[in-house]
Amino acid sequence: MELIDRYLQAVKFALPQAQRDDIIKELRDSILSQIEEKEAELGRILAEDEQVDLLQKLGSPLHLASHYRKQQYLIGATMFPIYWKVLKAALGLALLVLAAASLATAAAGKTFTESLGVLLRLPGVALMVFAWVTLVFSVLEFFGAKFRVRHRWDPRRLPPLMKNDPRKSSFELITQLLVQTTFGVWWLAGLHYQYLVFGPGIAFLRFGPVWQTIYPLFVVMVVTDLTLTVAMIVWPRWTQGRPVTRLVMSVLGVVVLYFLINSPDLFVASDASASQLQLVAKNINYGVHLGLLVTAIVNVITIVRETVRLVGLRLAHVPQATVGS
Amino acid sequence: MQHTVEAPMNNEVLENLRLELRRGCLILAVLAELRDERYGYTLRKALASQGMEIDEGTLYPLLRRLESQGLLVSEWREEDKRNKRFYRLSADGKLILKQLAAEWKSINASLDGIL
Repeated sequence: MELIDRYLQAVKFALPQAQRDDIIKELRDSILSQIEEKEAELGRILAEDEQVDLLQKLGSPLHLASHYRKQQYLIGATMFPIYWKVLKAALGLALLVLAAASLATAAAGKTFTESLGVLLRLPGVALMVFAWVTLVFSVLEFFGAKFRVRHRWDPRRLPPLMKNDPRKSSFELITQLLVQTTFGVWWLAGLHYQYLVFGPGIAFLRFGPVWQTIYPLFVVMVVTDLTLTVAMIVWPRWTQGRPVTRLVMSVLGVVVLYFLINSPDLFVASDASASQLQLVAKNINYGVHLGLLVTAIVNVITIVRETVRLVGLRLAHVPQATVGS
Repeated sequence: MQHTVEAPMNNEVLENLRLELRRGCLILAVLAELRDERYGYTLRKALASQGMEIDEGTLYPLLRRLESQGLLVSEWREEDKRNKRFYRLSADGKLILKQLAAEWKSINASLDGIL
């Protein structure tokens, strides 16, 4: 009987605490009843191999105990597709932000090792993103499951049909490319040759040093923007081009804004000795800082909105189950 | 286009479908058998004798679930010098069994026509 006791001990280990003793008592009786019947049939005590056979038919202790547990999950089948898309989008966003931060570190004149170090924070950041997204969805699942029980679903409240073809025409895209190229060249040149930006005002006001520090970031932004537009021209069937562009540019924009907002002297007086000009520059800096702060908030909202839109677009492409399946 | 399915895969699909098909039927069979009081082992034997084989890993958790749903009542009693847990239908269980049996007959009649 030692074998039976060892088996039951192993089953007990995996059972729900509150019912353990009761379940084991019942299982023991069932096993002993089977043994007694078999022994009566054979007219002898069961050999160890026969006991092994009997226990093997019951299944492994963990398998048997698993039948007594409720099926448990953090995120159910209804919520899982949304969770999965949001997790992928959040991880992608984390990668983009770290890549941009790494470039910005390089642009700020730090060593290669330091900028690589920023990028190498990805596993830790990814783990945090995974943990937070999972936690939020687990909470949503927990309360959502209760809500769904009494939720009265109304087809009239479904979102409107998406525009069949959200793509721009080739003419629009080529015009956009020309405008972007002209603006990009003007801006990148203007940061070096400030007369192009300030005109005659250069006699009074100039860019502060931060604009030169993050110059490579502007190059990245211009090149990325142009590349995405070219991609939309080359692959006209890429329907998610516009939201992807808005998302990527907003992320890069947030990084640029971070540096600008943290720099007190966005603009400096051309003549450092002119106190009147210093005051003007100070007031302009104050106003521009406020504007940049608002822009940063708008960018963050855009990032969230475009991420949700991309997730929605992807979900819309998930094959739907047929009725009755 | 005709799809060919390899034999092991086919067996696995068949086994899963068979289990799915039996799941609901087992509940009905267990409820019906427990119109008379029984303990787990004799219940299992009674079901097997009528062609409804069910292993312990399925039967005992099912009995507990049905009891927690208020369809069965149980009590520990000594029989043959051992404590055994006896189960029988509760008043709610009797009502549910009646309704499920009617549902089963209706499904059975429909399927007879379809098959």
